[in-house]
Amino acid sequence: MSGRRWEALLWLGPSLALIGGVVFYPAVALVRASLGRYSITGLYQGSVGAENYARLLEQPALPTVLANTAVWVTAVVSITVVISLALAQLLNQDFPGRALVRWALIVPWAASLIMTSTLFVWIYDYYFGALNQLLMSLHVLTRPVDWLAEDTTVMGAMIAVGIFVSLPFTTYVLLAGLAGIPGEVYEAARVDGASTWATYRLVTLPLLQPALLVAVVLNVIYVFNSFPIVWTLNDRNPGFGHDTMITYMYKIAFKSALRDVGLAAALGVVNVALILVAVVAYLRTVRWDDDAAAAGSA
Amino acid sequence: MRLLAVVAAITALAVACQRGSGPTLTVVIAEYSKDHTRPFWQALAEQYSKQGGPKVDLRIIDWNSIDQQVSTMIQNNQPPDVLNLNSFSSYARDGLLHPADDVLSPTTRDDFLEAFARGGQYQGKLYGMPILSSARAFFYNRDLFARAGVAAPPRTWDEVVQTARKIQALGSGVIGYALPLGPEEAQAEWSIWMWNGGGDWKAGDAWAINSDANVRTLTFLADLANRHHVTQVNPGKTNRTDGAFGLFKDGKVGMVIGFSPLAKQLDAEGKVKYGVAEMPTTRDKPLTLGVEDYLMAFKKKDNREAVKKFLDLYYQPDNITRWITAEGFLPVTKSGLERMRANAALKPYLDALPNARLVPTTDPAWDRVKLDVQQNIGLAVQPGGNPKQVLDQLQRNAVAAAAR
Repeated sequence: MSGRRWEALLWLGPSLALIGGVVFYPAVALVRASLGRYSITGLYQGSVGAENYARLLEQPALPTVLANTAVWVTAVVSITVVISLALAQLLNQDFPGRALVRWALIVPWAASLIMTSTLFVWIYDYYFGALNQLLMSLHVLTRPVDWLAEDTTVMGAMIAVGIFVSLPFTTYVLLAGLAGIPGEVYEAARVDGASTWATYRLVTLPLLQPALLVAVVLNVIYVFNSFPIVWTLNDRNPGFGHDTMITYMYKIAFKSALRDVGLAAALGVVNVALILVAVVAYLRTVRWDDDAAAAGSA
Repeated sequence: MRLLAVVAAITALAVACQRGSGPTLTVVIAEYSKDHTRPFWQALAEQYSKQGGPKVDLRIIDWNSIDQQVSTMIQNNQPPDVLNLNSFSSYARDGLLHPADDVLSPTTRDDFLEAFARGGQYQGKLYGMPILSSARAFFYNRDLFARAGVAAPPRTWDEVVQTARKIQALGSGVIGYALPLGPEEAQAEWSIWMWNGGGDWKAGDAWAINSDANVRTLTFLADLANRHHVTQVNPGKTNRTDGAFGLFKDGKVGMVIGFSPLAKQLDAEGKVKYGVAEMPTTRDKPLTLGVEDYLMAFKKKDNREAVKKFLDLYYQPDNITRWITAEGFLPVTKSGLERMRANAALKPYLDALPNARLVPTTDPAWDRVKLDVQQNIGLAVQPGGNPKQVLDQLQRNAVAAAAR
């Protein structure tokens, strides 16, 4: 008996070690850090219990950052899904050059986020940016706009870049979902005399639900955790007015006058809890494990 | 079959646990330039190893990430042996450093210029050894001055406003004075104006950030932006390197505060005819900002001798002068000053050195104050900003930081 057990453990060993080292150990280290007091140099100076969590709730910038994060995640995910539904529908049709368009769609996803963000920083630039020049030559603007500095336009500028880099993944997930819908269903709908829009609303969308679920959940997690876009585009702005929870956490640890690793670790734990709660709440709402809902529409 | 699996697993484990053999000296240097920093320190490390020192693990880290990486190293109890950074007193306060007496030969210690040696002391002992220095100067665009009919660079603040107005009136996107108060280095720009306005960071031992003189100075800067409209757009959100300097190098800016590496770049590009002058001031003598960066030695088991040999190698007059000249910075040693006096391009900065003041890096609270200023002072010059409120908040935070 024990021989087989040991052999199994030996083969599982490397994977278990990897999961332990890459997932569990950092999580444990994060929680330990959130319970500690750190000097500005990074030196650990002993445990302080839950004091970091209490101080976190007292931070004046926290409500603004929470609001920014809610706007950021909601706007990017919802607009991405809407555009991706349309794009997936387009790429599902057969037209000359479709393969080329499908390959081109991968580019924003394949390019490094930092490089994409830096590119957009220069596109949005007040003095040298292509966007201002384009809009002025089209007579949409009379004077250039400092997209990344004006408080009213920064969030919109960041959201645009977020959507740009999220479209490829979402489109491909929805495309795979569309490919899984059998042709007979559309024939049946045509026989029943349904219009295009009714077909889409009553046949396609419900059958896309599993793919939509995957797309939304994964996007919410990715966008919430997204660091490079917000960090790079918001780089020149002082204060915390346009930060999300992730960049705020980084600033607390390294860049703000707080320079407090313990406080940042506490915020890190809160971030993990937040995203877990959000995902579980969403899954509950769509009742993802309810087989009747999936089977009932067929 | 089972035996094979066991042997394979044990071998893999053994290989994975293999560590590099022998002691190494970890040296962390900030990346001052892409072209000169690595080659110099690489060559120095090789010379050091050839002379019998241990292997050197050299890490060149750019300024945007060096604070984070050093913080991570210390959190993991893996501090470097030698670190180059622009602050040192927090590390000294935490008891992490060797005092300079333990790791420098007396000749090297005596060679430091007085002001820079003083700027590296914590509680009376030298911990932060000066590695290089820079002094800021007032740059102006000769062509724009000629076109605007301005004969000489401004000496008083009223002249600054008048000159900037004339240049701004030239139109087509030309900017009178480029004011970078974005998070990158706002404390440097602010220091220069603050000192020339008659104020200072501290009065004696206490923080005096919101003194009347400072409020007047910050209001003056806010007026430049929002009343006279002679600065670039959103000065509170513009940095030096990718903002103000870029615009000046493009020939779009009449005046900016710069330093010797900027002059080097301008000379190399040859696009802008620029002049260098003293800072405009309300005092009788202009003051400029001197910045020194530090080398520090971390206390680790048995590394004192190795670190001492490495530092002595760097501080040999040939080595240190060669690197400082290549990077375009200024000397920190008396022997270095003698050798670099011959360099005509550095004359305005070397002349400014005696009038250069340093920020209070000897106070560990400064590390927090600096970050606070970087993040917040730009808000005062934005439209609708309130200079007095911003300075009051900075003062409150500074006093709190000092009490920690």
